[in-house]
Amino acid sequence: MKFEPGFHLLLGKNAQGKTNILESIYLLATLRSFRGVGAAQMIRQGQKGFFVGAEIIGSQSDTIKYYWSMRERKLTLNQDPVKRLSDFFGTLRAVVFCTEDLQLVKGAPRIRRRFMDLLLAQTQPTYLQYLQQYAKVLCSRNALLKQYRPDLNVLDSFSRELVKYGQALIDARRQLIPKLSPLARLAYRRISADAEELMMVYKPTVQTDFAEELKKNMDRDRQYRSTLIGPHRDDLSLKLNDNLASQFGSEGQKRTLALALKMAQAEYLTGIVGYPPVLLIDDVMGELDRERRSGLLPLLERAHHAKGQVFMTCTEENWPRELGRRLTRWQVSQGQVQWHESQS
Amino acid sequence: MLTLPPAVQELKSALNRLPGIGPRSAERIALHLVQSKQDAVDLLIRSVKEAKEKVSLCETCGGLTETQPCPLCSNSQRQQECICVVVKPTDILTLEKSQAFKGQYHVLGGQISPMNGVGPEDLRIDSLEHRIRENPVEEVILALGSDVEGDATSYYLAKRLSALDVKITRIAQGLPAGSELDYADELTLGKAMQGRAALPHD
Ligand SMILES: [Zn+2]
Repeated sequence: MKFEPGFHLLLGKNAQGKTNILESIYLLATLRSFRGVGAAQMIRQGQKGFFVGAEIIGSQSDTIKYYWSMRERKLTLNQDPVKRLSDFFGTLRAVVFCTEDLQLVKGAPRIRRRFMDLLLAQTQPTYLQYLQQYAKVLCSRNALLKQYRPDLNVLDSFSRELVKYGQALIDARRQLIPKLSPLARLAYRRISADAEELMMVYKPTVQTDFAEELKKNMDRDRQYRSTLIGPHRDDLSLKLNDNLASQFGSEGQKRTLALALKMAQAEYLTGIVGYPPVLLIDDVMGELDRERRSGLLPLLERAHHAKGQVFMTCTEENWPRELGRRLTRWQVSQGQVQWHESQS
Repeated sequence: MLTLPPAVQELKSALNRLPGIGPRSAERIALHLVQSKQDAVDLLIRSVKEAKEKVSLCETCGGLTETQPCPLCSNSQRQQECICVVVKPTDILTLEKSQAFKGQYHVLGGQISPMNGVGPEDLRIDSLEHRIRENPVEEVILALGSDVEGDATSYYLAKRLSALDVKITRIAQGLPAGSELDYADELTLGKAMQGRAALPHD
């Protein structure tokens, strides 16, 4: 199937496979599901695995192929097996807008950490490498802390490794958020007529010196047999007029905020990379009122001008006609996609 | 469906456990062996048995050898004041091929790995300390993996050996991150050996 630059509307009743198209594109960009579904659950019943592949045409052309089964996974970029994920990330950049985004505001810190991590992995090749190394050291250090009487010198060696990778993660996040916050604030204002001031504040568990603080915290770590401070415990606080949105925001404000975060993500990627990411919009429009929808318009317009791509799933009755412009409509039913019409 | 005779099946699974031999090759070799001349099979059995009996680990360095100590350890032409610490016996062969090093070796027998329950007491560190104390050793070169566990083990060793009067260096990190010595080519290894640097142990 070939998708030209521009706006693609995937129409169809529910449970016909509209979202699968978005999932496939997102999977090629991030190797994971945006609905938080494990790879094993993405296999069609009765099959051993799944395969996604695409040729991505931007300033250059890249072919990604990804096969996943319980027994093996194969990822190739232009026919070559990908040895390091950091070599792969950034080939295709996508930002998804979906109902689950609300969890960015309401959910556990883990979800906001993943938001920061994904954005950094998509823009800094080394970030993902550090993240993976950090996870490995953390596991080792926690395994040591669970020993009856850990060798303190060994613990010290792994603490040192933890600091080496952890500090890099903290620094990257610390630099990211002040750049992202104004973008999100602008987006929020554009969507919402209310005048609340949105602020994003990075909340690291480490204040200044990871090594120092880890040492100070050693007794507690040993007592709890687990590493209690570090980037794996960080959070991102989202405030409206200085109040935590998760606690004081209305349902509508939370939705607007989630949307603003995703818009900021898209704008940030555009700024860094020079062209817009592929935008994937999953039924989210149906839930938004007209006012909020119109806030999305400038972003979509810009994607259109920059010859970017937007994919949006909708049911027939609620596709936002105000998004008129030039769009290609596809009819999705029973897992089959059919070109419907192009209109200008 | 015709299946392999049980004895061939057993031979096949034994072969399949060898490195680099998949189920298909294992089956091919097993079938080949049972159809070979008796002489050829006897020769194979004898050489496997002899190699296993004759080769052991050098009590000094931990490398593979037929004599105690091994030819490398007993070669007086080699530098005595420099010990290169590696993870496993085959790392010695890799380094020897690169001809980058003319000193002594010491095999640790692994790296510290809390997730796999490997601690310092499971490694040949005591015997390393003993060698440093008993011989005029000036420099210990750490040539471990460049992964998290290699880094942590190197740091641990640097700290522990700092109590002894010896210079501790680590081969340059030109090796691909997260890899073992096996994967480095000879040229890279040579450069890594030359570009070794002192290790902080504060
Ligand atoms: Zn020896």
